[in-house]
Parts: sequence; C-alpha cells; structure tokens
Amino acid sequence: MTIKGTSLLLLPVCLLAIAPAGLPPYAMTLLTEALILGLFAMSLDLMVGYTRLLSFGHAAAYGLGAYAVGNLLLHTAIPLVFAIPLAALFSGIVAIGVAWVCTLASGVSFSMLTLAFAQLLYAVAFKWIAVTGASDGLAGIPRSPGPFGITFFQSRSGFYYLVLACLLAAFLFCRSLVQSPFGAVLRGIRENEAKTLSLGYNTRRYKIAVVAISFTLGGLAGALYAPFAGFTNTELLFWLFSGQVLIMVIVGGAGTLIGPIIGAAFFMLVSNLLSSWTDSWALFFGAIFILFVLFAPQGIWGLATRWRSLSSTG
Amino acid sequence: MDFLGFLVTQCLNALSQAALLFFLGVGLTLIFGIMRIVNFAHGAFFMLGAYVGYSAVYVTGSFWAALIAAPLLVGAFGAIFELGILRSLYKRDHSAFLMVTFGLTLIMGEAIRLLWGVAALDVPTPKSLSGIVFILDEPFPIYRLFLIGAGIVVAIAIWQFLERTRLGLLIRATSQNAEMVHALGTDVRLVRSAVFGIGCGLAGIGGVFAAPLVTASLGMAPNAVIDTFVIVIIGGMGSFAGSLIGALLVAFVQVFGTYYFPDLALALMYLLMLTVLVIRPGGLLGKEA
Repeated sequence: MTIKGTSLLLLPVCLLAIAPAGLPPYAMTLLTEALILGLFAMSLDLMVGYTRLLSFGHAAAYGLGAYAVGNLLLHTAIPLVFAIPLAALFSGIVAIGVAWVCTLASGVSFSMLTLAFAQLLYAVAFKWIAVTGASDGLAGIPRSPGPFGITFFQSRSGFYYLVLACLLAAFLFCRSLVQSPFGAVLRGIRENEAKTLSLGYNTRRYKIAVVAISFTLGGLAGALYAPFAGFTNTELLFWLFSGQVLIMVIVGGAGTLIGPIIGAAFFMLVSNLLSSWTDSWALFFGAIFILFVLFAPQGIWGLATRWRSLSSTG
Repeated sequence: MDFLGFLVTQCLNALSQAALLFFLGVGLTLIFGIMRIVNFAHGAFFMLGAYVGYSAVYVTGSFWAALIAAPLLVGAFGAIFELGILRSLYKRDHSAFLMVTFGLTLIMGEAIRLLWGVAALDVPTPKSLSGIVFILDEPFPIYRLFLIGAGIVVAIAIWQFLERTRLGLLIRATSQNAEMVHALGTDVRLVRSAVFGIGCGLAGIGGVFAAPLVTASLGMAPNAVIDTFVIVIIGGMGSFAGSLIGALLVAFVQVFGTYYFPDLALALMYLLMLTVLVIRPGGLLGKEA
C-alpha cells in the first residue's frame, strides 16, 4: 500500500508543482487558499476521522496560529519561515491545556467543550485590542524576508510553494503517524475506548497528544493564512468556521487524510461557483452536508475508492 | 445605594434569566434522555421561536397569540424533521446526529436570514407587562417578574406532565428501556417524534419569551446552544431536575459575574462547568458519563 500510495501521490504533487507556470494569478490565489484549507481540514481529520473526537471548535487552532504569526511578523523582525512554525508550535502548546480540560468529558460533552473553548477565544479576541486588534483584526501582516536575505517566499508563487511544501510535509507526517503504533491506539480509541483502556493504554494521554498534534497542524494552516491574506480577523475564530472545516472533513471523507484535502478543494470550488449567483452558501452547504451524512458517510474519497475497487474486481 | 435592595433585584434578575435558560435546557435534556441524541440545532429552534414570535405579534398584534403560535409551529417543524431525517439515523453512532443537526443549524440560520432579513427585530413587551415596579426602592421590570412566574409554571407543568400523564409515563419508560416499551406494544418511534417536537417547542417558547429582552437576531443561535449545553452538562444529561439546577447556577453566575467582573463573565461560566466536570464528570445529577 505504501509504495503504491506514494506513487499515486506523485501525479497530483507534480501537477501542483507545475501549477504556477500555467495558472492565472487569480486561480493561483484560490489554489493557495484551497491548499491552506486542505491542511487545516487534514489536521482536524486526525481527531475526527482517526480518534472520533468530534471537535466543534477547530477554528481555535487556526485563529491561534494566525494571530500568533500576525503578532510575530508585525512586532518582530523574525523571518516568515521561522515565524510560521513558531506560531504553529504555540497553537499546539495551548492545545495541551485545552485538551486536558476537554478530555475530562467524552462524546457529546467533549464536542461542546471544544465549541465553548473556541467561543471563549472568540470573545477574548474581541476584547484584547492590543494583541488582536479587536473587530478590526490585524492588518498589513508582512512576509518578512530572511534568513540570509531570502525573498523567494514573498512572491505569489514563492508563497504558494511554501504552502505546498507545508501541506506535503504535514501529509507525510500524518500518514506515518496513523500507520504507527500510536495511530493504532488512536483507532483503538475510535472503535472501543473502554477496551483500549483495559489493554493498558492511557487513552486520555493519547487523546491529549492527538489534540495537540492536530492543533499544531491546524495552527500551521492558520499561520500560513495570515501572511497569505495579509490580515486576520475574528471570523477566523468564529464557530461557523469550525463548522465549515468539519464539513470539509466529512464531505471529503473522514479518516483518510486525502479526503479532507479534497473536501477543502471541493468547498472552495463550490463556494466560489455559488457566490457568483447567491451569497447563501450556508443554505447549500448545510444541505450538502446533511445529504453526505445521511447517504454517503464515507465522503467523496470513500466513494471514489469504493468505486475503484468495485471496477477493478468486476 | 441600598445593598439589600440591590441584592434582591439582582437575584430576581438571575431568576428571570434562569427561567429563560430552563426553557432551553429542559427541552434539550428531554430529547437527550429519551433519544440519546444531542440536538445541536436547539439554539436554532430557539431563534426560530423568537422570529416566529415576532411575526405572530406583527400579524395579530398580540404577544399571547405569539406565545401559543410559536411553540406549536416550531414544535411541529421539529417533529417533522425527526420523522423525515433523524429517524433514519438511530442505528448510527451519536456523531451522525450531531452533524445532521449542525447542518440543520446552518440551513435554519440562512433561511431565517433570507426570510426576515439581517437586521435585529424588536418585539415589543406586551402593554400589560411593560413598566417597572419598585422592590425595596429599586426599580425592577415587570416583564422579568412575569418570566420568573412563567418559568415556575412551565417547570411544574412539565414535571406533572412527566409524572401524571400517560404520555409522560411512556416518555419515562422509554428513557429507561426503549426496547421493552416497544415490546409491550407502544410505537416508540412515535414517542420519540413527540418528544423531539416537545423539546423543540420548548426552545421555541423560550425564544418568544426572550425576544422582548434581547430582540430577535441572527446571533441568538450559537449563544443559546452554548448556554444550553453548559446547563445540561452541569446538571447532567437527561436529568429534568438537573436542567433546573443547571439553569439556576448558570444564570446566577452570568448575572453576578457580569456585574462584578464584566470582562470575565463568560469565562466564569466555563469555569463553573469545568469545576463540575472535574468533580462529577457526568454532571451534578447525571449518571456517570
């Protein structure tokens, strides 16, 4: 599977690598944002798809990363390429505390605690003007050059390659993570937590770890978004955004890593198509989401792989 | 300022707030108790209640008509949603419900925006309940006193309904052992639809009660759903008395927190929930989660 999986991966990666040569600037901007959202959705998949920790507050990870990188880039001279991982790490460290609290509960209560935490951050962001700029947000976030005067990542295509590299690295990391013994324990928690616990695994510690990893990667996505867009605002912490990313994961296919990336691209594509003739994207996405949960809980990627295995056997 | 008067009016304030929160919490906990599902759209039903209430007041000119029409319409909508969509999900795990009702929240929020517009809508306080009374020389709105009364009446009504009526008996039995009730010849699916409708209707009536205080606005749903879940988590999922205690605790923390620590009011509510979860993970009156 691994070798076959890697070779399957080669084609889309090559296509994405040569994309800047062929695509107009507007499409490049959309593609960059889709990749950032893909990274964000994939980070949530570790929790939702592999551990069945249904988070309604994943926007917190994104917002933490975005505001952290915004402050680093605005107030210090740290180069972009160092600020981004630092911000991601910050998000992950905060997540350890959050996860410690949220994993006191399980199931539905866990979901609600994540939502409550994200809304709390949202409320804080509104009040803490010095750090977040309140409702105005942070504007004019630069893509600071360096180290050694490297300015490659300041250009549109340079930044795109940075995003692509982050996504690819994160994907390879996540894939090896879910295939490792650690990943096996996560799946054990997903299928039967009591059993996993009785096998001697401290499931709560595993859950805290996966939340922290998921927040680090989600924070990475947010940290990429802020210098990409040049601004942050409180929308990035709002519960609707948490909902959107959950939709990307489920519609794309939870528990597959690839699926959520496809879900994010699908989300970007459809919302761009929809926005040309309606601004009621929530209406359609709500309906699409319900239809997927009802009739295709395995998501787009799940449908695609099933279709492929059917056509290869039949 | 007279401290005793201040204390009494703040307590009354908190009680009226508790009444509103109780309408939300008890509906959610009823639904959870019997169906083991969590209705994320509960806040959206609350919001729908406020908007339907606005329209009912606008059309009939009577707040009392709104108080009857809104829960009926919202409850009927909830029951139809249960019949049409949720029913097919009982064999799936609980996350499916959470996600479907989340999708419903998105749809309802957008539909309400399309139907009623973006602007917050002001529902006037009924004439007979507007104005203030003086309690220990402190002014206090009559409408809030009315809310306290309404909360008490509804709490007693639900309690008596669950204890004394046949449907109440079936609801309690189903929450204990649904299969046995089914085997004894009652269509449990109908009980579930009814309970989902009743729970949503209670959220709807809460929306109407809240509308004169907070205006009907699109921000209602997420705030309401979070408050509701905090209440139910504190009180214990599925416990009627728990939702009452949870509503009281949260209301007092909200009212006094806003007064003494305005910047930390929200955090205090979560701190309360956290403390309860650490001491009793299943909530104060809930079974161990």
